Amino acid sequence: MNFDFSDEQQLLQQSVERFVNENYDLANRKKLADSPQGYSDDNWSKMADLGWLALPFDETDGGFGGNQIDTMIVMEQFGRGLVVEPYFANIVLGGGMLKRSSNQALRTDLLPGIITGDVQLTLAHAEEQARFDLDDVVTTAREDGEHHVLNGKKSMVPNAATATHIIVSARTGGGQQDKTGIALFLIDADDLDGNHFPTVDGGRASEISLDNVRVPTDRMIGDYDLLARTAQDAVLALCAEALGCMEVLYKSTVEYTQERVQFDHPLSDFQVVQHRMVDMFMEYEQCKSLLYRATLEAVQEAPTAVRTSHALKHLVGKSASFIGENAVQLHGGMGMTEELAIGHYFKRLLVIESQFGNTDYHLTQFAA
Amino acid sequence: MEIELTSEDLEFRQEVRDFLKGNAAKPGADYSQWRLDYFKNAAAKGGWDVPKWPVEFGGPGWSPTQHYIWEQETVTASLPWDMPFGIGMLAPILMNYGSKEQIDRFLPDIRERKVNWCQGYSEPGAGSDLASLKTKAVLSDDGTHYTVTGTKVWTTMAHMADWMFCLTRTDDTGIKQEGITFLLIPMKQDGIEVKPIITLGGAHSVNMVHLTDVKVPVENRIGEEGKGWTYAKGLLQHERTGLAGISRSIVALETLKRQAQSVPRGNGTLMDDPAFKSKVAELEIDLLAVEFTELRSLAAAASGDDPGPESSILKLKGTEIQQRIQKLTVEAGGIYSAAWGVPVGHKFARSGMQGYLGGRANTIYGGASEVQKDVIAKNVLGLKKS
Repeated sequence: MNFDFSDEQQLLQQSVERFVNENYDLANRKKLADSPQGYSDDNWSKMADLGWLALPFDETDGGFGGNQIDTMIVMEQFGRGLVVEPYFANIVLGGGMLKRSSNQALRTDLLPGIITGDVQLTLAHAEEQARFDLDDVVTTAREDGEHHVLNGKKSMVPNAATATHIIVSARTGGGQQDKTGIALFLIDADDLDGNHFPTVDGGRASEISLDNVRVPTDRMIGDYDLLARTAQDAVLALCAEALGCMEVLYKSTVEYTQERVQFDHPLSDFQVVQHRMVDMFMEYEQCKSLLYRATLEAVQEAPTAVRTSHALKHLVGKSASFIGENAVQLHGGMGMTEELAIGHYFKRLLVIESQFGNTDYHLTQFAA
Repeated sequence: MEIELTSEDLEFRQEVRDFLKGNAAKPGADYSQWRLDYFKNAAAKGGWDVPKWPVEFGGPGWSPTQHYIWEQETVTASLPWDMPFGIGMLAPILMNYGSKEQIDRFLPDIRERKVNWCQGYSEPGAGSDLASLKTKAVLSDDGTHYTVTGTKVWTTMAHMADWMFCLTRTDDTGIKQEGITFLLIPMKQDGIEVKPIITLGGAHSVNMVHLTDVKVPVENRIGEEGKGWTYAKGLLQHERTGLAGISRSIVALETLKRQAQSVPRGNGTLMDDPAFKSKVAELEIDLLAVEFTELRSLAAAASGDDPGPESSILKLKGTEIQQRIQKLTVEAGGIYSAAWGVPVGHKFARSGMQGYLGGRANTIYGGASEVQKDVIAKNVLGLKKS
């Protein structure tokens, strides 16, 4: 039994931690989030140079052959820094799909560019009527010779404005909620219309409409199973990021309540405040345990892995809400301001709650 | 025990409805003019512009039931904007502790909504522990004016206010509740700087107010020097019961249900989702109870009794319910709640997130929930601190 990271993983963790400490004070982060594209090209190049964009890809594809543990390490540190570069959209979603795709030609074509950061991917799967169900798809893909013609609308697509290619789920057959008949197409971003906007946490998302978009059939990269596999990895990555956010929130609160004096005592002298923070700490540790469990099961491809990932997103959702709301509460009025980092971590957690299924959704899936 | 409305109550309700209908804003009408007209017409009804004021100051002298009816009927009506600082907060203090000159000078303008007031209480070092405030007021040797220096924070609408009622420290030698003096300060003068504070929802309603050597004539002092805490304390209780917002929450929950019905979920809507439906039902049950807690509190106040233990829980329960409704609205918005500043997907999602973020302040202002519970433990349960 051993929960230690390998030497290589420790180096990775230190390297990401250093990057975050050097580049991500709150003022810098705000500047990036407020800039037109929402992140820094320089940071993106640095991530490529440091090899992080190559992390999960097979060595035969030019990658480092990393697994979900490596991604967890990166995402947790990104959570600590509220990193805005589109690592999740590119490497976890887009890269994750491509890596598992049976479309060898596309992989050979695109992976080198992904690893250098020149090709940027994202995933457009959500639809208004679907809520969080991956298999509820009304966007259609009609076969037409060597092409498929796509029609429909996709919602809350992360970082689509800066993507060069967008992977879209569409229905080639079956009923609205059937798992069969769903296909994934890789489409040049130039061929798509998007309405781009910021998200609550300073990120970027888009509404994408597909109006008779013709896609060569050889750009089909997979089916529902690939989407579901990617969603499972997405949950792990988001929860790792959330863990980083929660760590900062509970630790900052412990620190702040020792400095803030009211009624002639530091707030941390009051038992009600102490117990609240103990609860926050316990929630954080429980999330960490379940994150490790779910991640290891995914790496081992254990039969319980999917179910454990549902458990994880549920627990993280509940704990993030508890920790975030109480961090704000215990910071008092200050916690309500844009000036303090607290609110920004809280908002990132709120967005994570809305991505790839919320707390209730995953409880239902777990219990099913 | 009797809760049926009498025929007089029903008549009153009809009268309120007729009044609100007759004075609703007409499309295209000038807003400011309508606002002034509304309050003039409400005054002509016999104090309907100041429902909570005592009869001797022009209030309508309603029974608790009539107040309840008024709140029920107005919560869904579009009334002109109105701030509680003058009407609800300063006015009762003036009535109880102000001189005749002060009452004559300030009350009419407050009533006619001619002057905007803000509340200068909290300071960077004095939040829940308000009595530790440090803004200094020094009386001149000739006794004609105070010189005020210090910083106030979370001052709602300070950027739009003409006047501030302000707690200042005139003596720091005794216990901290003593030596606090209540001053009325004009905002538009040298030495007062208002800096906006942007809160989580992206809104600007609160401010930091720096006062540097601000001269305040001694006739702007309410009551005696050093007694300001006694005057303000009674008001804080008022403020706290007013913050429960029960009627607003009842309306908000109905709105939430309609919104959830507009969200597709499988073959039905989100309101068919058992987990979501249970959470709405739990809120509804709490509201059924807290609505009667408020009525019990109103009835006790009307009979002249001290507010009973039930009134102490109103702010706590009321704000907790507000936050749960806001949170469920974000949940109903689903993926679209993450969009910021643009209407995307479900129409309500945009304001839902803003409401949720802004609403986190509800359990902080007017006495944080943790402090409220301390007060209840001490004053209601009679417990001592270790």
